[in-house]
Amino acid sequence: MLLRRALPGLAGGLFAAPALAQSASPTVFAAASLTDALRALGAEWATRGNAPPRFSFAASSTLARQIEQGAPADIFASADEPWMDHLATRGLIVPQTRVSPVGNALVLVGPAGAAPVVLERGTDLAALLGPRGRLATGDPAHVPVGRYAQAALEWMGQWQAIAPRLARADNVRAALLLVERGEAPLGIVYATDALAAPRLSVLGIFPPASHPAITYPFALTRRAEGNAGARALLGFLTGAEAAPIWRRHGFALAG
Amino acid sequence: MLEVSLTHRYGRAGFTLEAAFHAPAGQVTALFGPSGCGKSSILAAIAGLLRPDAGRVALDGVTLLDTSRRLHVPPEARRCGLVFQEARLFPHLSVETNLRYGLRRAPRDAAGPGFDEVVVLLGLAPFLARRPAGLSGGERQRVALGRALLSRPRLLLLDEPLAALDLARRAEVLPFLARLRDAARVPMLYVTHALDEVDALADRLVLLEAGRVLAEGEAEALAARTDLPLAARRDAGVLIGCTVDGHDSARGLTRLDFAGGHFLVPLRDAPRGEQRRIRLRARDVAVATTAPQGLTMQNILPATLREIGPTGTPQEVFLRLAIGPTILLARVTRDSVERLALQPGQEVFALVKSVAFDPAGSRL
Amino acid sequence: MSLSPEEWQALRLSLDVATRSVALSLLPAIGVAWLLARGRFAGRMVLDALVHLPLVVPPVVVGWALLMLFGVQGPIGARLEAWFGVRLVFTTGGAALATAVMSFPLIVRAARLGFEQIDQGLEQAARTLGAGPLDRFFTITLPLAAPGILAGAVTAFAAGLGEFGAVITFASNIPGETQTLPLAIYSAIQTPGGEAMAARLAGLSFMLAISGLLLAELIARRLHLLLGRS
Repeated sequence: MLLRRALPGLAGGLFAAPALAQSASPTVFAAASLTDALRALGAEWATRGNAPPRFSFAASSTLARQIEQGAPADIFASADEPWMDHLATRGLIVPQTRVSPVGNALVLVGPAGAAPVVLERGTDLAALLGPRGRLATGDPAHVPVGRYAQAALEWMGQWQAIAPRLARADNVRAALLLVERGEAPLGIVYATDALAAPRLSVLGIFPPASHPAITYPFALTRRAEGNAGARALLGFLTGAEAAPIWRRHGFALAG
Repeated sequence: MLEVSLTHRYGRAGFTLEAAFHAPAGQVTALFGPSGCGKSSILAAIAGLLRPDAGRVALDGVTLLDTSRRLHVPPEARRCGLVFQEARLFPHLSVETNLRYGLRRAPRDAAGPGFDEVVVLLGLAPFLARRPAGLSGGERQRVALGRALLSRPRLLLLDEPLAALDLARRAEVLPFLARLRDAARVPMLYVTHALDEVDALADRLVLLEAGRVLAEGEAEALAARTDLPLAARRDAGVLIGCTVDGHDSARGLTRLDFAGGHFLVPLRDAPRGEQRRIRLRARDVAVATTAPQGLTMQNILPATLREIGPTGTPQEVFLRLAIGPTILLARVTRDSVERLALQPGQEVFALVKSVAFDPAGSRL
Repeated sequence: MSLSPEEWQALRLSLDVATRSVALSLLPAIGVAWLLARGRFAGRMVLDALVHLPLVVPPVVVGWALLMLFGVQGPIGARLEAWFGVRLVFTTGGAALATAVMSFPLIVRAARLGFEQIDQGLEQAARTLGAGPLDRFFTITLPLAAPGILAGAVTAFAAGLGEFGAVITFASNIPGETQTLPLAIYSAIQTPGGEAMAARLAGLSFMLAISGLLLAELIARRLHLLLGRS
């Protein structure tokens, strides 16, 4: 009897729920280096009674091209400004929503227990690599961490020596894997990634003057312009409430 | 001397093979029987390609197989040359390389004919550089014979080598088999279900039926027996060894001598003194109690009626006739026997039409 | 169509890696194919399944597994470095290994078919002529299986030209060492303005692949004729 009356409600609920979830579960395309922090933030967002966001983590270049081809992202978080500019010039983001709330530092990593390295102009990194060693980092041609690494190495006057000995990874995580597995003696990654890799040691921090500021622009994509849920999530991720979680994961806060 | 004793149970066919016989060196022993009676399996077991449930195979005193002692010499060590129905020439090698395949792997001290000798024997010179695919069935079998012979075997096994050939090809290859027999001085075991091949080649006969050996012995002796399935055939008859005594071209006749008498047959192309074995079918022999006159039959031979025996058919009987040491069989109606009141021991005349003899015959 | 030096390098590297990968996997593949075709042992089905794994598992997984095994910290890689001073990651050899693993099943399948369609009666005949097992294998079995094996090798070569996931995961993307055509195309696509280069390289890949497959077919036919079959 009760079941009879409840049935339409149940059925309606069944069909409505996914639809609700669709519109309420925003999709976030984010740079790989934001993985751990964003997952934590996503969980926090969910505990507040919101639909948990769906994440896609990859290299900023890959994600930008996917969005360009029409991928269903609601929020884009890039690891550098140029890739966000790339989408902005094509009108694929809502410019008013663009904000860069967090920053990062660039570090040199090696196996746990290796000696620290002072990173200043003229430091002979090439010698530290040994005769056959390679330095793992993102591909400077299109991966943001690689671009920062190139800038830093040029500042140090080491670019000519190191460029042919790079192991160009597709993203930061891949570069980390290479150093973790001992295939490359050194790696240049973000400070936040070094935190997430307990088996590696940070051997030195690149001076902020050696590279452009590492900031992470966030923006709402054009297709999500009317999506209140997505807007709300973006506000949360870039707002004051998210600050403790960002800090916990090693990010610097802008402003 | 080859000694064979085998027992093997075929799960699927559901019948048991149980055979024991021996084959002397320098002679052709034919394994004769209907299709499916186990002949090919016996060859496979002798060659080592089949492991029988139980058995023993020994060649010149060397044991190749003895299941009771778990002794099984692998095929590659047995030196039994095997000629298959389908030739089984290696398609990627030339005829010459095929021929030399066994020769190269024969033990250094092995005796046997040389390469050129075999090529001449089997007429293979025109094909040496060709591939097997370009040869006819008969030509391929000749190569297969040569290949087996050149492997210097201690025993030659031939598994119905002519069965896959048409009549013309068989006639072409048969003489080569006879030459092979003369050239190979090892025992030859020849499996067939064709009686004319037996007539042409076999010295000894092992008669098989449903997996069992019914009889074993000289071909002539088995042919003269009336108690075997051989006798039930419509073309049953004795085998007689003859010598060509002479020709009378004016009359168009040839005289064939045998122990106890002679036959006159239509003129044939054979040199004097050549030995031939002929089959005289029982149904071609008539019997008279008195010397007949005015008959076309060229051969009227005095004989002694030794025995009157049954055939498979109730209306017909076998008359066993002796002409000297030679036995003839005549197949006549029971009615005739009663009419003429024939008795064993009686002196009669055997009547044979000269045209009843196979024109070709077979060389001994 | 003229290519830049980097593009030539990618082409040369592709041919090098594909050739090395076939050379590496040919003998083991023949051995495994023979075992699968003629062997009667427990676990034959398991071996068959293992051989086909690279065909059905994501190539990246294969690359990752190779990293775990052949990286300097892996059980095999550590010994390679300690005993021979050989490292595979970042090297053409590593790219060849990854490619070899991915195309291994292709050679095994073709070689196995080659062995299976040989008339075993021919091998029996060879036995009666005095040929032992190794002798038979090299004089009868292998030559007759050759068309299948060769076709498998050429197919594996053509497939090896296009291997991506396993190579980039295991050997990484090092121009001049491991950046084969597929990896170069991938990098070009990622780089802004690299579309033209990507298109050129893709066209090149396509032509190479077609040539490879046609070659395989021609070789197989020629060998069939040689072996006296229609």
